[in-house]
Amino acid sequence: MITVRIPTPLRPMTGGKSEVEIQSSSIADMIENLGTTYPGIKERLYDEQGEVRRFINIYVNEEDIRFLTGKDTPLKDGDEVSIIPAIAGGK
Amino acid sequence: MLVIPQAILDNMVDHARELAPHECCGILSGKDQVIDECYRITNILATMSEADLSRFEGAKLSDLQRLSPEERADIAFQMDAKEMALTQRDIRSKGLDLLAFYHSHTASPARPSQTDIAIAMEFESYRSKLNLPEPFHLIVSLQNSHLPVIRAFRIQQSHAIEISINPLN
Repeated sequence: MITVRIPTPLRPMTGGKSEVEIQSSSIADMIENLGTTYPGIKERLYDEQGEVRRFINIYVNEEDIRFLTGKDTPLKDGDEVSIIPAIAGGK
Repeated sequence: MLVIPQAILDNMVDHARELAPHECCGILSGKDQVIDECYRITNILATMSEADLSRFEGAKLSDLQRLSPEERADIAFQMDAKEMALTQRDIRSKGLDLLAFYHSHTASPARPSQTDIAIAMEFESYRSKLNLPEPFHLIVSLQNSHLPVIRAFRIQQSHAIEISINPLN
């Protein structure tokens, strides 16, 4: 199983859970599986072109998937995935 | 205390002025509370879709939804995640730390808003996963356009604690 850390803005879709466990072979597969289990979450992670939204970083065991193989980054049992929005704010 | 070269303080003010009325944002790197480098990061808020605004909450979300995309960047910022990741990698490759985030308030004082505090607390919950030290949060205020003000804060337990800045000439 893969452990996925869910960021605060997406927790309403996971029933408030900050971590979920899911079976997945890659990041793309994980996002599909999350979407099946938690409807609406896939649309919050992907933009209209099917790319990860520009304010979100996804890490596998502390490494950004951009520096691995992006959405094709393979996952194995015990991996930890963190979905982390970049910092924001406003007056 | 946070030590910042005067050239970097000037660079942050220039960045804020160049982007005004939009808010600017960026990252400062260094070691042991001494800032070494400034990275300007794109505020992507004006080009974010309506769906992405749900990244914000409460009154700020309602305010953003009422405004045009261009106007949204006047009252808030969202760092480009890719630029932030590339910056983190560059900082790490130099053996330095990501020490601070900065952004501008173009028409309000240099103190963290409720949104700034809420999102800083949210980021705090992710920080251990990113292996980052506790960041300072700097705000550049252009409220008085002739007298820009930069102030630094730690944000802990939903409170902003001011940290003095020592400019280095």
